[in-house]
Amino acid sequence: MCIKDKLKTRVQRNLNQKYIRRLLNIIAKKPVLYAYGSTFSSLSDKYLNIFTIESLRNAYSNNNHPIGYGSLFLPYEMFHALGITPFLPEVMAGFTAGLGLATQTLKEASSNWYSQDLCTFHRSASGAVELDVFPKPDFVITTNLACDAAQKSFYIHSVKYNIEKNFYLIDVPYEYSKESILYLTGQIKNICMDISSKSGMKLDTSKFKEVINLSNEFRKWAIKVNNLRKTLTNYPPYYNGLNFILPFHGLAGTREAVILYNQMYKELKKYLDKEEKEKSGKNKSPKRILWLHLKPYYKNEIFNILERENCRVVFEEINYIYWPELDPERPFESLAKKMLSHFLSGRIDNRINVILKAAREYKVDGAILFSHWGCRQSNGGARIIKDSLNKLNIPTLVLDGDCVDQNNSSQGQVKTRLQGFVEILNS
Amino acid sequence: MYTCGIDVGSVSTKVVILGKKDNKIASYIIIPTGSDSKNAAIKALDNSLKKAGLADNEIEATVATGYGRINIPFADQNITEISCHARGAISLFPDLKIVIDIGGQDSKVIKLKDGKPIDFLMNDKCAAGTGRFLEVMARAMEINLEQFAPIFIKTNDKVNITSTCTVFAESEIVSLIGQGIDKNKIIKGLIYSIADKITSMVGRVGLDEPVCMAGGVAKNLGVVKALEENLGIKINIPDEPQITGALGAAYLAQNLH
Repeated sequence: MCIKDKLKTRVQRNLNQKYIRRLLNIIAKKPVLYAYGSTFSSLSDKYLNIFTIESLRNAYSNNNHPIGYGSLFLPYEMFHALGITPFLPEVMAGFTAGLGLATQTLKEASSNWYSQDLCTFHRSASGAVELDVFPKPDFVITTNLACDAAQKSFYIHSVKYNIEKNFYLIDVPYEYSKESILYLTGQIKNICMDISSKSGMKLDTSKFKEVINLSNEFRKWAIKVNNLRKTLTNYPPYYNGLNFILPFHGLAGTREAVILYNQMYKELKKYLDKEEKEKSGKNKSPKRILWLHLKPYYKNEIFNILERENCRVVFEEINYIYWPELDPERPFESLAKKMLSHFLSGRIDNRINVILKAAREYKVDGAILFSHWGCRQSNGGARIIKDSLNKLNIPTLVLDGDCVDQNNSSQGQVKTRLQGFVEILNS
Repeated sequence: MYTCGIDVGSVSTKVVILGKKDNKIASYIIIPTGSDSKNAAIKALDNSLKKAGLADNEIEATVATGYGRINIPFADQNITEISCHARGAISLFPDLKIVIDIGGQDSKVIKLKDGKPIDFLMNDKCAAGTGRFLEVMARAMEINLEQFAPIFIKTNDKVNITSTCTVFAESEIVSLIGQGIDKNKIIKGLIYSIADKITSMVGRVGLDEPVCMAGGVAKNLGVVKALEENLGIKINIPDEPQITGALGAAYLAQNLH
């Protein structure tokens, strides 16, 4: 059994906050962390894992920094400017799946009246909150952007920790307009001011500017990575574009995100150069796949099957850079524009336009929409997305499954659907 | 020379041996899969070779399909039921646009264009809408499954079966019988409950004619009639609908060498 599996088993056996804190404190100590980092085959993979561990260690350590629970579509630049350590329960729910803890967290959620119909990202996170596995937050911030479940489950978390007064809901208007920008700017500013006065962490203008500049730097490298991928077909074996949710969201505005995306660019560029050199035309070109929504975060065969069937995921919708460059002189307004620019905000056309643009730019042969159980915001558009892609002669597989609960689909059924879809692409 | 197609389903294993030059079926066989799908496949192949009077070295290539397709030691390739059913159905009805396959464990609707599959839908999450559903209900009502079709044809009214889960539907039927409701009306309701599920799947891929129905449930004329009524079309049924997937696999095996 390798060290990663041993750690997994230990956490499964000792699922409590104290043990996780102790473990993170040991792992995050520099010599151990570097030794752990050396087990990864590339620098970007190493950075991804180390930054994740450090971010978790910060959230679990009882230092003086306030902890803020945040939902996925928030502008995390505000957390970093305020000196709040972000903790993303939805992302952590993905980790519960990867660590084999979801059975316990989902069971706990079920015992506490969380509906079986609720998305398992929220159900598993709620179960972890009920089990007292997550660090205690000082603030809970969420938004109604895209996800309906977040605003409800996050409020329940604030009640659980008796901090309802520190619960904030950012209401993102449906349309992108001057009035919407003003309305949203006001909300973000007020929330920042309120948190600042409650936490005693001063909202420093120069710190905010620095965070915004770092966010722009991360954005620049992320765009470069995305542009590079338009021509890249073969990827390093460790690379999966669906693994970067934490840095893409939670680390936006930090130096870590810049380092990670810069390194990712360098590594993928090396791969592209190698690919250019080795172009012999002997090998059959792989089918290029556009991946829509998320993936299962427990051990599964999906990407191995695609690899075996000579298919490559060449782009993931979630990595699309949807927001304009932020203005360091107008941080609140910039973050409001960032939120309003999200393609999941407003009409389904916004999402379809992004999907069709990606389908054209990445010259995809097919698209797979992973239909995560209970995710209305994504699955509700499945039909119109499929029809829109079909107009470009791009076959689309709507693959039913669950990102967190492995008991909600069978590997055999997934395999038949994927294999059948690839047969259609090859026919 | 010949090719072989083998379809290992959850209920039955089907083998078709196909002449390479004349595309004629040399033999076919349908046997229960039982608990050991690998052995069922070996047995089915032996029996069909015997039936055709062939030796195993006369089989040039074999394609396996069905849920047990990955576990067949003598297959040269495994291909999904989607491609195999489509190919088999096209060999029987060349202009086909839709194939409906209702098997023991799942049901699928495959859309075709120019003889090739372009889209599909599968229902394999629950037994409702499959052959297993009918089997369970027939057992609950102590009626032979073969009687379903004549009862469907001669009965005018139906009782709506509201439960979508096979287990609950079984309890609902027991309760309806307990209330003294005519069994024939219950049977008609059961058949419609399957037909309604398939109708909505056809709607999702988009109805286009001609349509063919394959799989064991296609032998149940009650289900076929209910589907025809729902869709407002005539459905083509192969002479032996159960071997459509294996036939398609045998055709696809012709491309291997």
